[in-house]
Amino acid sequence: MREVFGTEEVTTASSQKNCEQWDSLRHLTLASELEDSLNIELEPEEIAEMTDFSKVIEMLKTKL
Amino acid sequence: MATFVFRNQTVEPFFGYGGVTYSGYDDISVIPDDVDRYIWFYQVPVNADSAQLAQEIESYNAKLDLVLDAAGDKPFIVFSLVNLFKLRLTGDEMAVEEAIADFNSHAVQLAATRHNVKWVDFGEFTSRYDSFMLINWKYYLMSQTMLNPKLAHEFQAWWERTQAEFVLQRKKCLVLDLDNTLWGGVLGEDGIDGIQLGGDYPGKAYSYWQKSLLQLSRNGVILAVCSKNNESDVQEAWDKNAAMVLKREHFGALRINWEDKATNLRAMAEELNIGLDSMVFVDDNPAERELVKQLLPQVEVPDFPEKPYQLMPFFKSLVDKYFRIYAVTAEDLAKTSQYRANALRKAEQSRFTDIEDYLYSLDIAIDVIPADAHNLPRIAQMTQKTNQFNLTTRRYTEDEVRQCLNNGWHVFCIAVRDRFGDNGITGTVFLKPVDELTVEVDELLLSCRILGRGIEEAFFKTVLNLLRLDGYRKVKAAYLPTAKNGQTADFFDRMGMTCVDQGSDGTKCYQMELNDIFEIKNYYNIRVL
Repeated sequence: MREVFGTEEVTTASSQKNCEQWDSLRHLTLASELEDSLNIELEPEEIAEMTDFSKVIEMLKTKL
Repeated sequence: MATFVFRNQTVEPFFGYGGVTYSGYDDISVIPDDVDRYIWFYQVPVNADSAQLAQEIESYNAKLDLVLDAAGDKPFIVFSLVNLFKLRLTGDEMAVEEAIADFNSHAVQLAATRHNVKWVDFGEFTSRYDSFMLINWKYYLMSQTMLNPKLAHEFQAWWERTQAEFVLQRKKCLVLDLDNTLWGGVLGEDGIDGIQLGGDYPGKAYSYWQKSLLQLSRNGVILAVCSKNNESDVQEAWDKNAAMVLKREHFGALRINWEDKATNLRAMAEELNIGLDSMVFVDDNPAERELVKQLLPQVEVPDFPEKPYQLMPFFKSLVDKYFRIYAVTAEDLAKTSQYRANALRKAEQSRFTDIEDYLYSLDIAIDVIPADAHNLPRIAQMTQKTNQFNLTTRRYTEDEVRQCLNNGWHVFCIAVRDRFGDNGITGTVFLKPVDELTVEVDELLLSCRILGRGIEEAFFKTVLNLLRLDGYRKVKAAYLPTAKNGQTADFFDRMGMTCVDQGSDGTKCYQMELNDIFEIKNYYNIRVL
């Protein structure tokens, strides 16, 4: 996530609301990178739900 | 470098965020001027109504023109349009394809006529993938990015390479073997009409290959022959085999003999006045290739295809690797005939007893021309490509040359012709004013094609006379040694300048008072334009 957002200030508390770099475009880049590196497929609805760090982790748990 | 991208889709994944800003979607109302360059990267939208889509694409031409006029002189890169999603409801529906082709040829035209515009063939990237890979509909519908964002890394790598080609120094000369290379079979065994060339396969493959090579030479690459053969047999094949495309006149140099090829290549490099590192050697015989690789590591030696039907992809790989440049200048186009004319000049030289006598006979005309919009690309190109007669070997891009002019530098180039041919623009000098009375030679170079005729001296002295007329009274200069410019080490000494400082690396600094007019030999017809 740090790589995608280009900032070191990513923590478990980060969310689309409190992280300036986590905009809608980079959100998709994040989804795309996760799909590629973990070899999973995320549906658009699932991508839309991953609005903060813990939700990303939760979503990934269902995929792996 | 701050870049502004005009786009009609989401392209952030491809160009990133570092120093890049973006227009609104299909928005040309804002043209920021606090950037270093512009990129136009439009995609063909998705629209099942092809008539409407064609109209939309047609509107891009006018938009691009408008933006170009408003954006001024800064570098402007236009990506070609590629139809990633070809949707044709009826078989004869061509409007969209025509509109795309129209836009692309318009962009090529712009690049040819405007010095700041460069055209990038986006199809070169997309052609590597099938349509399933190119479009990711999920991401398209979520974020308006037609091109699959998963290709972002590969796109960035490709885009970086493509940009590197903008200033690439390409190879100058392609040296070719004959038997089983330019045609199938062995001339000495199969005879003039027994070799495979023209007609059906495999002869057809060699015809295509020769035609392609001819095109390459028309684009400024010197072709040369290095073959173990009897020259008279080859000449007969050139004369009598009707399928022969490449003949004597298409080659800038020939070595058809039984000497080893490394010796021949060395001799040809000398004859053509180019470095061995400007040569590419193509031979079907692995032993010959190995010999050249071992003895002349500077020469590029690609593997030759096993089968004649692989010749066209092989040709493409040669072009991609060694011979493609962004823009071909008029000088490039005339190069092979110039190199041939040089060979004639050398033959002439042996008939005169003294060199002055010979130079007089050449009717050398030198035009000294101030840098302007027409010759600026060629001036920048020369600073990039010239190695041998180059006093400081400073490389400048077109923009940097323009910058020099804006800073009040005097930049001249010379166009040289003689009774054997027109060499075009083949030398340049960059003069940087230090103060009202003093000027410094920042760069001085001559293309190797015109060396050996004293033109460098006539050029430099003419320039010094001009500077004196302009009120300058002192000139400074420096020689910066490189691996290749040894022949210029004493140039400023020969011009009568005083060496005031010498570095341990061979760097030499000079100066001279400009008191008297320099006399220039009367066998040069010099015009200052």
